[in-house]
Amino acid sequence: MKNMTDKLRNHLHEPKTDLVHATVPLDRRRFLKTAIQAGAILAAPQVVRGAVVGRDGGVAPSERIVLGGIGIGSRGRYVLSCFLHEPDVQFVAVCDVRPARRESVKKMVDGQYNNLDCGMIHDMRELLARTDVDAVLIATGPNWHATAATMAAKAGKDVYCEKPCTKNIAQSLLLRDVFRRTGRVFQAGTQRRSLPNFMFAVDLARFGKLGKLQTVHAHPGGLGTSMSGWLPAEPEPAKDVVDWNLYLGPTAWRPFNKRLLDGFNFEKGGGMTGGGCLEWGSHCVDLCQWANNADDTAPVEYEPKDGQLHARYANGVKLIMRNEGWLKMGSCPVRFEGDTDWVETGDNADMAASSDALLVGRGAKIAGYPADFHVRNFLDCVKTRGQTRANADVACQAHIACHAANIALFLGRKVHYEPKKNEFIGDEEANRLRSEAMREPWRI
Amino acid sequence: MVGAAISFFAITQASLAADSKPASSAEKQKKLIAVLQSDAPSADKAITCKNLAIYGDKDAVPSLAPLLADTNLASWARIALEAIPGPAADEALRGALSQVKGNLLIGAINSIGVRRDPKAVDALAEKLKDGDVEIVAAAAVALGNIGGAPAAKILNQALAGSRNEIRAVVAEGGVLCAERLLADGKFAEATQLYDAVRRADVPKQRQLEATRGAILARRSEGIPLLLEQLRAGDKAVFGIALRTARELPGRDVTEALGTELDRTTPERQVMLLLALADRGDAAVLPKVLQVAQHGSKPTRVATLGLLDRFGDLSSVPVLLNAAAEGDADLTRTAKATLTRMEGRAVDTALLARLPQASGKLRQVIIELAALRRIEGAVPALVPSAEDADAGVRRAALDTLSVLGSDQQAGDLVRLLSKTRNSEDRDGIEKALTAICGRSGSRCLQPVLPLARNSDNGLRKIALHALAAIGGPDALAAVKAAVEDRDESVQDEAVGTLATWPNNWPDDSGVAEPLLSLAKTGKKQSYRVQGSRGYLLYVQESKKLSNSEKLTAVNGLLPSLKQAQEKRLAIATLGAIPSAGAVEVLVGLAGDPALAEEACLAIVNLAIAKNLEGATRESWQKALQTVVEKSKNDATRKKAGDALKRIE
Repeated sequence: MKNMTDKLRNHLHEPKTDLVHATVPLDRRRFLKTAIQAGAILAAPQVVRGAVVGRDGGVAPSERIVLGGIGIGSRGRYVLSCFLHEPDVQFVAVCDVRPARRESVKKMVDGQYNNLDCGMIHDMRELLARTDVDAVLIATGPNWHATAATMAAKAGKDVYCEKPCTKNIAQSLLLRDVFRRTGRVFQAGTQRRSLPNFMFAVDLARFGKLGKLQTVHAHPGGLGTSMSGWLPAEPEPAKDVVDWNLYLGPTAWRPFNKRLLDGFNFEKGGGMTGGGCLEWGSHCVDLCQWANNADDTAPVEYEPKDGQLHARYANGVKLIMRNEGWLKMGSCPVRFEGDTDWVETGDNADMAASSDALLVGRGAKIAGYPADFHVRNFLDCVKTRGQTRANADVACQAHIACHAANIALFLGRKVHYEPKKNEFIGDEEANRLRSEAMREPWRI
Repeated sequence: MVGAAISFFAITQASLAADSKPASSAEKQKKLIAVLQSDAPSADKAITCKNLAIYGDKDAVPSLAPLLADTNLASWARIALEAIPGPAADEALRGALSQVKGNLLIGAINSIGVRRDPKAVDALAEKLKDGDVEIVAAAAVALGNIGGAPAAKILNQALAGSRNEIRAVVAEGGVLCAERLLADGKFAEATQLYDAVRRADVPKQRQLEATRGAILARRSEGIPLLLEQLRAGDKAVFGIALRTARELPGRDVTEALGTELDRTTPERQVMLLLALADRGDAAVLPKVLQVAQHGSKPTRVATLGLLDRFGDLSSVPVLLNAAAEGDADLTRTAKATLTRMEGRAVDTALLARLPQASGKLRQVIIELAALRRIEGAVPALVPSAEDADAGVRRAALDTLSVLGSDQQAGDLVRLLSKTRNSEDRDGIEKALTAICGRSGSRCLQPVLPLARNSDNGLRKIALHALAAIGGPDALAAVKAAVEDRDESVQDEAVGTLATWPNNWPDDSGVAEPLLSLAKTGKKQSYRVQGSRGYLLYVQESKKLSNSEKLTAVNGLLPSLKQAQEKRLAIATLGAIPSAGAVEVLVGLAGDPALAEEACLAIVNLAIAKNLEGATRESWQKALQTVVEKSKNDATRKKAGDALKRIE
């Protein structure tokens, strides 16, 4: 795995200098779809390379980033594996309300380090109180993300947090403000921001290579919303099997039901469950925001229309969330259309564009949306105190766009949003859906 | 920037209070209140609370307030009470302060803080004296969120208290309160409170936050404090200083940070450069360019990678020179930055250097022309393709493959005839093929003579170019090459035909020569390639109907001698959704060497819908064949299941 990671990183950091042009595909007159294997990356990483921050060769203990994990399930284990392969990371403790998960992660970590040192912690507050921990990986269910991330920041930890990072618009703003205030480094787990095909496509849009940007398309993976629920009570397991109270955390109380133990089953979107609009939008809409140079704002208008969600930015660019009509490029596709050219890409890392010349220098083809590069970007920024690619300001606005879209879907009508004031214009119902009280004693 | 969101809830309350509630909401509310007042299960009341958060007003508050003491429903009730505008909800939450304890009390305090109720300040001040540190912490944060001079005074006093654990939690409220003062433009008051926190014996993280705030609240006068933190030996202090360096506005700040570049260590210099790049203020660019040219290599690499963030043309020569130095790291970074730099002015600056540039510099500019799609560079590319420097030649050909048009096709053909260097020939071929792919028949005129060149190697290159051009004329030339005087050219022509692109209507003419090759090719390998090419054509053709495809495969089948080709035929038949295809597959299933593939194709077609001409009987027969012939359990099971569905 390490070798593979290094190989992939070399693709990112050390692209070949010769240009490789497209092969001629069967249907080249309609569009060009290349599988270029190498080339200079247009959007090379913009932070200091590892050599500068001391990750060449051995890493002195004083230069290691001491990491803890919170809520490490299947996704968390994958991201953790990306961390574990970085030579300047020392993972010291896992925190989970379920002992079985703690033990599983400990086994994984101890196996990697060939020792028995990985600590197991029940309550994240105990982990956050440790002064030897520099940073935490948060991969709980979405219900906990913003609360845990801000608690960590207030405890002086840098944070890599899985997405969706927030439950509503208010949480998005609070997340941003807490990380500004504390000066901690934050990286949302939107790893496509660090993958060459998405970076390349975004840069084509950002730097005017598509002409004047007209429309950005995001795949939301469904557009359904509904009120969060209260499932029938089942016998609550002993606390040492599942700490239900801690598992619920900041979400409104409800009785134990094992279906809720999958963190993706409830409370994704504040007043309503988020559905794909938030789950996938936090990736795809995020990329559209970036492509539109709109990382510091969000669309001003959202309207459910013909099974899609149509949004519009103040600069006139349209954002369309649609499930159909994509070229077959895997999950999480995005498409950017300018007045002269267009580009589309997805998780299989293929790229399609209106012209083959647009794709020159697209860099390595890295499919399967690995998180290695995103993790590395986070670690570099922990050392340089720089801004990550998916920092809290960026994540805040991308999530606001998703939440606002969800509110339009929930209300079944058009809503107008004022990003500078963070309120819907003349729309009491929509405004009330911007926030939701957190269960006691939790707060951000 | 500080506090951009902290007026969020105040705005909410104001805007909600100003809006009039539609009649439909009143009706909804009436029904929702009735649920709360009934003996409905908790689950119903919980969801009712969420609905009241949208549709409720002061009339709902009397029904919600009692729930603040309900362990299971208090959190749901607060969802509504936090959202409902007006004093009634505030009063209900304030009332709870003396009614509930423990976590329920913390919840009420938290909601008061979110609503920023100024009338709660005195009551919250009392809670700062509570014996439960968690309640003190909640009260301090609520006071911080409410903000204003009264809250600031209370928090300031509490910071001077003697209990460590109390000071620790009060500090968070102090920072929040100072932030609100700063957002309200009360700089002196904010500075005073920030200073109180950073000087107090409180957790280090709070001190760091207060230090940031103290610098921001001082505005330009905060520069000395900022520089003091930047020079601190403590990494955490240095870290918060870097964060603050990004936020504190002003050219004087930028200049001070630029001066600091000279004082600091190389490692910190890089981090400071990152912060300066985030500021994007060109005032510091001369200093940054100096580092980019004369710093240590790691620092140079880092700095070169940041120069696009300043968006200034003066970076272009520095980047170009660095890229041409010959150091791989510098070249890569400088090229990437030059690629990212925005604006046509950058293109113009690069082009201006091209006429005089030679060697590595010329190579870099030409490579950048491709990466930036600078079409103005095209006239210089053909001469560069004949440059004495191999790197320049390679770059020129690669860039021609991207930017070139049919205008350059003739030049490339001419170059091909001139060079014997295999590497150059490969580069020219790649460029020519790419141009032919884009320009199509416009390239026929220069390429067709190449197909008649006396050089065998050039005739092969011509075949590749013709495949990229496509269309009947190109196809005719390739077809003719099957009879070339040289056997290796014949081989190449057959291979080209077998992979002929067939997505355009005018390329369907490849079918006839492929079928001919399949049946009468003079070598076994020609017959195999012809068969494969023909089947590929049939499979991918968008013009042929299902019955025409079936006829085509049936016409070829007797010529197929090897199992591998027959399997390819099976795969083609398996993609034809018709009863006729199934019938042929049933026949092929009788051959033990082909039975598994044929059976699987039958089953897959059975699962598909809308098969042309399929009857129940024909399906039964086909699926029964699969059950009998296949040795694969999964295939047999699928067939059995399909049979059951039919029966």
